[in-house]
Amino acid sequence: MSSESLLVRKIDWGTVLDHIPAWKADQVIKLLNLESLKQDPDVSVIVLHNVPSKKLGRKDIVKLYHYMVSEDEAKILALVLPQITINYIRDWKVKKHSPGLPERIVGKIRCPETSCITNVEREPATPRYIVMKEHGVIACEYCDTLLEIERIPDFLVD
Amino acid sequence: MPSSLSGGREVGAPLGLKNTLAGRDIISCKDLSREDAELVFRLAEGVNSGTIHLEDTLAGRRVALIFVEPSTRTFQSFYVAARSLGAEVLSIHDPAVSSIAKGETLYDTVKMIEGYGVDCIVLRHPARGSARFVAETTSVPVINAGSGSQEHPTQALLDVFTIKSRLGRVDGAKIGMLGDLRYSRTIPSLCYLLANYNGVEIFFMAPPLLQVRREVELYLSERGVTYRKAMAADEIKEVMPDLDVLYVTRIQKERFPDPTEYERVRGSYVVDAKLLSYGRRDLGIMHPLPRVDELSPEVDKLPNAWYFEQARNGLPIRKALLHLVLGGAG
Ligand SMILES: [Zn+2]
Repeated sequence: MSSESLLVRKIDWGTVLDHIPAWKADQVIKLLNLESLKQDPDVSVIVLHNVPSKKLGRKDIVKLYHYMVSEDEAKILALVLPQITINYIRDWKVKKHSPGLPERIVGKIRCPETSCITNVEREPATPRYIVMKEHGVIACEYCDTLLEIERIPDFLVD
Repeated sequence: MPSSLSGGREVGAPLGLKNTLAGRDIISCKDLSREDAELVFRLAEGVNSGTIHLEDTLAGRRVALIFVEPSTRTFQSFYVAARSLGAEVLSIHDPAVSSIAKGETLYDTVKMIEGYGVDCIVLRHPARGSARFVAETTSVPVINAGSGSQEHPTQALLDVFTIKSRLGRVDGAKIGMLGDLRYSRTIPSLCYLLANYNGVEIFFMAPPLLQVRREVELYLSERGVTYRKAMAADEIKEVMPDLDVLYVTRIQKERFPDPTEYERVRGSYVVDAKLLSYGRRDLGIMHPLPRVDELSPEVDKLPNAWYFEQARNGLPIRKALLHLVLGGAG
């Protein structure tokens, strides 16, 4: 029995996000805006930090009990955390999901350009980005500023 | 276009061309095709030569100028253009006394102005992305008159118009851009518009701190435009003989974290008779104005000085653009 299964029991329904780099589970929580689920009586979030992993040495795992990650959410997770594994669980059955890449991202990320209209206080401008995977960047649709995909975690909206 | 769109007065078709700009937002030069630009140029040419009269084509129309930055030249240029076309002008200018200074959001200002039944909004705002945001906020066409350090499309239109009239062509033009290329709003717009022409070569001449932004480089690469970056003084001298046009922008001291660094580089970016001696005799010098000391007055009387004519082209270009965006005949 692996140490992981000793730590937390399996779930019958929900999403298991595996192979998150160690101590990066908070990025998943922000990208999925999981705090917005705090009123939902059915959803539980189980976070495991620093679990031994053959692939990564150490990793985090996020189990979303009674919550199915949407296709759009899955795509953004895969863009920001390329090592992530997304498993949908239905009636104990595990189905691994490999999402494609998102073409656009709405919200979730602050524009790195401080003089962007989306960073002006009280203006109702939600940041929006075009993903340019071939160049390793996303581009703000308002101000054109580029952000390297690997720097996205530094700009996640709390 | 239906005549109702030109203010109820039949003006005829000055060129008999399709107006591709009617009702459109002019946010970025990336959105303008070569045909769009050429339409503006041909109309502006006619205005300049006196063969096309746009007076009163906007009679009964209302143009709002929202200028949330102390800009005088661009404001005046748009004001005179709109007024001479017969439009009524509603202006929110001096941010020190306007509601914007009292903490009203740009969103609320636009919603309020919209309520006055305006036909077009011209916007100057310090935030990048402000023009696109306003265009999404309102159904009225929006003309970007400067969005922070991002873009200034009408400046680029008058710049390329000047190159075209002085050089006789834009295709194949070799253009040096010198000074602050990172914070200048005119540089990205100029690059995006030039990308519509064939065989244009651009030489970015600036210290590393003020070099052109990466998104501009990326756009040029994707459009297949050849460009090169020159950072040091001797590289600039080496590039000079190749140029048809040298486009100069102002370097601001505040951009440098260390003032001694500013003092060290500023000399390499001053355009004077000595620098011109490295270029061709017919090299054209352009500048969006106002200048400080990066462009020596000794250049003013040389035939190389294109910048006063460039500044004069602002009015016909803005007249032509307002006429077209408001649905006038092409
Ligand atoms: Zn932005």
